[in-house]
Amino acid sequence: MRGSEREAEFVDFVRAHRSDLVRTAVLLCAGDEAYAEDLVQTTLTKLYLAWAKVRRADRPLAYARTSLTNAFFDERRRAHRRRETSTGEDWALDSAVLDDDRSLRQVVLAALGQLGPRQRAVVVLRHWHDLDVIETARILGCSEGTVKSQNARALAHLRAVLGPERLLVAGEA
Amino acid sequence: MRRPEPVEGADDDLRDLLGLAAGDARYPVDPGADLARARTAQRDRFRRRVRLGTGALALVAVAGVGTGIAISDAGQDDPGSSSAAVGRVRLVAEQLDATPYTFDLTPKGWSVQSQNADRVTIAPDGGGTSSNPDVFIGKLVILFDQNPVGGVRFEQDGRTFWLGSDSGYTTISTLTRGAEPVGVVRIQYPNNAGWTRATMVRFLASVHVGPGARPGLG
Repeated sequence: MRGSEREAEFVDFVRAHRSDLVRTAVLLCAGDEAYAEDLVQTTLTKLYLAWAKVRRADRPLAYARTSLTNAFFDERRRAHRRRETSTGEDWALDSAVLDDDRSLRQVVLAALGQLGPRQRAVVVLRHWHDLDVIETARILGCSEGTVKSQNARALAHLRAVLGPERLLVAGEA
Repeated sequence: MRRPEPVEGADDDLRDLLGLAAGDARYPVDPGADLARARTAQRDRFRRRVRLGTGALALVAVAGVGTGIAISDAGQDDPGSSSAAVGRVRLVAEQLDATPYTFDLTPKGWSVQSQNADRVTIAPDGGGTSSNPDVFIGKLVILFDQNPVGGVRFEQDGRTFWLGSDSGYTTISTLTRGAEPVGVVRIQYPNNAGWTRATMVRFLASVHVGPGARPGLG
């Protein structure tokens, strides 16, 4: 493949999917947009360097999302690369506050930030990207049972923070 | 134990909340900036490969490859570093104050971005890295904690160090001195920012951990 062809395809891909990747990264990073942007930049660079694999992928966007998730865990695995930036505040459901979308967004991000990185990734992959348990386990490199248990714990936490009337989520089937 | 029954529409609730939390559906997109970064990374990778001898593989006989690698490693004390592309970082004999940490040496062209009880973040002058001090990508970070040390152990100037490397970053750790707060002081640096292991060890050895330092958690 010629360089110019790869570059044209890469630019088209970025134009079409960058926003999706940033939004996913924002969720993985629990609202830390600078960190999310760094992750997306890292991911896109890796994709460019392995563009032949992106082209061969059945679903290039799914491939990119997997790369993004891997980049997120690579970051986490590096000791001390960054610390959790959670404020430690306990966000309680307050219907008056949650009427405002912006405040609700902060509450949801804070609730995500209180989850462990793996639990957060499970929530994003299962409930944002609609991946099934098998695919989620494959991306995270863990067992299906781990995905189920992590998902159940994560949802229980989100339900407790956001309120059962707002999040009537069932346990992992 | 009986599992809870799925609730119809419940997953939509969560998806809606996640969609709200994820932010704008259309973040600003600048493919040119991503392409420029990608091209730079490709050039760096090419140079690295050439330096490590893989570039020579296509040009010379197989028998020459081992020699090529040996020569490259001999000229570079930090395997995996691409410092040749960005130039070496030089330490100068000036005190760097980042209370509660002080350094006998100062990396020329780098400045303290943030300091607190358990870490100091040092970033290259001229930008190119995140302004968020909690993002360590491309930066030099000094951390103080009480976690176990790990990696390849080596001695230098009567002091023990541990060297580890992962995903383009190197971490060197050493125990604090007798009069300092008890713990481990570590330096993490990107391999492609011009630091060499020898320089890094010298810089780490120059750190003084003051009484205000507190070991970080995690």
